[in-house]
Amino acid sequence: MRDPFAELGVPRRFALPMKEVAQRHRDLSRALHPDRHAAGSAAERRISIERAMAVNEAWRVVREPLSRALALLELHGAPLRDGDRAPPAVLMDVMELRESLESARGDSAAIAPLRARVAERIAQEEAVLAAALDLDEVTPEGLAAARAAAVKLKYYRRFEEEADAMDD
Amino acid sequence: MALLQIFDPKARPTPVGIDLGTTNSLVAWLVDGEPMCVRDCDDSPLLPSVVHYLAAGGVVVGAEARAKAARAPRETIASVKRFMGRGADDAETLRLGTYEFAPAVEGEGNVVRFKVHGRVVTPVEVSAEILRVLRERAEEKLATLGGAVITVPAYFDDAQRQATKDAARLAGIEVLRLLNEPTAAALAYGLDKGRTRGTFAVYDLGGGTFDVTVLELDDGVFQVRSTGGDAQLGGDDMDRAVATWLLRRAEVSDADPTAVRAALDAARAAKHTLTDAETADVSITLGGKDLRLTLTRAEFDALVLPVVERTRPACRRALKDAGVRAEDLDGVILVGGSTRVPLVRTFVRELFGAELLTDLDPEQVVAFGAALQADLLAAESPEHDALILDVIPLSLGLETMGGVAEKILARNTTIPAARAQNFTTYADNQTGFELHVVQGERELAADNRSLARFTLRGIPPMPAGAARLEVTFRVDADGLLTVTAREENTGVTQEVSVTPSFGLSSDDVERMLLDSYEFAEEDLLARQLKERTVDAERVLAATRVALDRDGDLLDEDERAEVDGAVAMLQKALQDKDSRAIHLRVEGLDRATQPLAERRMNRAVAQAMAGHDLGEFEALVKDRPEHPHLAALAAEEVR
Repeated sequence: MRDPFAELGVPRRFALPMKEVAQRHRDLSRALHPDRHAAGSAAERRISIERAMAVNEAWRVVREPLSRALALLELHGAPLRDGDRAPPAVLMDVMELRESLESARGDSAAIAPLRARVAERIAQEEAVLAAALDLDEVTPEGLAAARAAAVKLKYYRRFEEEADAMDD
Repeated sequence: MALLQIFDPKARPTPVGIDLGTTNSLVAWLVDGEPMCVRDCDDSPLLPSVVHYLAAGGVVVGAEARAKAARAPRETIASVKRFMGRGADDAETLRLGTYEFAPAVEGEGNVVRFKVHGRVVTPVEVSAEILRVLRERAEEKLATLGGAVITVPAYFDDAQRQATKDAARLAGIEVLRLLNEPTAAALAYGLDKGRTRGTFAVYDLGGGTFDVTVLELDDGVFQVRSTGGDAQLGGDDMDRAVATWLLRRAEVSDADPTAVRAALDAARAAKHTLTDAETADVSITLGGKDLRLTLTRAEFDALVLPVVERTRPACRRALKDAGVRAEDLDGVILVGGSTRVPLVRTFVRELFGAELLTDLDPEQVVAFGAALQADLLAAESPEHDALILDVIPLSLGLETMGGVAEKILARNTTIPAARAQNFTTYADNQTGFELHVVQGERELAADNRSLARFTLRGIPPMPAGAARLEVTFRVDADGLLTVTAREENTGVTQEVSVTPSFGLSSDDVERMLLDSYEFAEEDLLARQLKERTVDAERVLAATRVALDRDGDLLDEDERAEVDGAVAMLQKALQDKDSRAIHLRVEGLDRATQPLAERRMNRAVAQAMAGHDLGEFEALVKDRPEHPHLAALAAEEVR
């Protein structure tokens, strides 16, 4: 995998000042976007589109917390695997949340408190990720904690997507 | 044809912007830095997008064609844009209309074919007729036409975009870029008012398409956050709603093409009248019956409200996808003739609660934006310094086990975009992969738009799960998709530019090009030489610019190699040797590869200048994104 953090020239961290990262993406786009090289040689146009694609993909990965966490784990040599499951207590919790969501379908007022509960859990896991990954020396224990947090984040993200679909 | 035209022989080709609309089409370019639309002899910038086919062969395009529609509803094609990239059995093709369709031909794809005077024409060819007239109009005023930016609805899928590009090719127009219509409008507004930042929505209700786009403007960068819409919704539907009501009032069948055409025309006229007036008188003969009535604004509003209401879900979703609340918007840009309808304005104001921006003509603003973008792309010294970062409107993916659509590039992904995904075999000794490329948001592949099917063959037998198939989706800056599949253990590779299913193959387009009158008389080789010469001159100019600015990036040997390749290309040009020109262009391309790479690195270094990692570290410490994270993190570390 290409290092999306290096691609954007930002530090390899979980907690990032996203406004500045967005600015960096815009600056790089100004330099690389094919529109800026439309009058260039064929070689230049080819390179421009490849590099612009890489920068856009890096920005997609870095801007969203879950994909950012997964990328960091992969870069630290500890990627999530298909078999990674959350502990039973978390699964139960998510199942209950999804049942409540199902019965609140289409009712924004009923969905909002569920969203708030999940947002709180997400913030907690993000704090764990930042604490474990944003260190000069990442420890094996830290990586294990970060992986556990990322797995939970996956379930919570899926809940949010379902909530979006039911809130239309 | 004009007898005498005086042009500056040294004048550079002028890039133009073209709005190829459902109802009307326009062409514009910059005059003293300001976008202007070409006007016809009646001083109208609008060319009605109507093509009438004459019995003797040949066509009439524009207002004259529209005038013939009433008497020749089958031979006069209006709103052809609605059929672009569509299948012959699409619901859209079969709606209330006046056309006769030719049956699908085995092995020639499932594209829509109109039957006119026993001839068969595709939507791409009809659109090419409109583009040809626009090109001629531009060429009357310009020394040389320097390529065009052509706008498409943001919600157009891949097949519809490809069809538009094919039509331009058929009309002999070089496409500089396909640009989304709402983005074009935003560019025109942003540059016109010198706005530098803000979040805007663009509500674009045209004759046959509806788009809504949310974008952020930041220091000359127009970044699209989300887009949504309905590629089959527009003013035509208002006309249809009113026409259906008129036909019912007259108790006339909607199977009579002349009556349908008359009802549609009356409906459109009433709609225009009701923009300013409170009532419109309708007086038509339908199927031999005279119908006279007065339509009030309230009655009209009631008839078209369902059409306007259909724009609501897309607007809500676009806001949600962008992560923007209606109250955060700095304004809503209105685009498209249908936004002149008072009910539409009331609806949009209520929906977004933001200021409506209407000071640029909603019918010309898209062409203005296209002209500005054309200038940015092709002019030697562009008038503005702006950049558009657009997105794909609909998710792109593959059909996987159980008919499920797996998304590879999600909707609202910034383009150009590329993403690879790995798959494996599910049966032992499987020697081929069938790939079905789909576009849309639905869970099941069958519910999405099928873009293409192809098979990767020649994989040696392996146990299930052993093969490693890497599929890469790439979407270029025109929003066009290419799919590459590669089996990693054996290196078997296959690439498809996604066309077929509902499109024309490149062979079809080539054949149409050869068939078309314009090229029949021109020697094919002469055409090839001309194209290659233009291409070679552009490459030489680009090389000159690159050497002037960044020649220092090459050492002596590399410089000598580039100079040698330039000299050889110049010699080939002097000799007018088509094959040699082609080869020398490729040679120069190879010789300039290191220069191109280093120039790109230099551009990146300049973009990053003064913003190194250290600066970011400082920011993270001073002002972390999540203050609670920093606090928690500190606690954890202790």
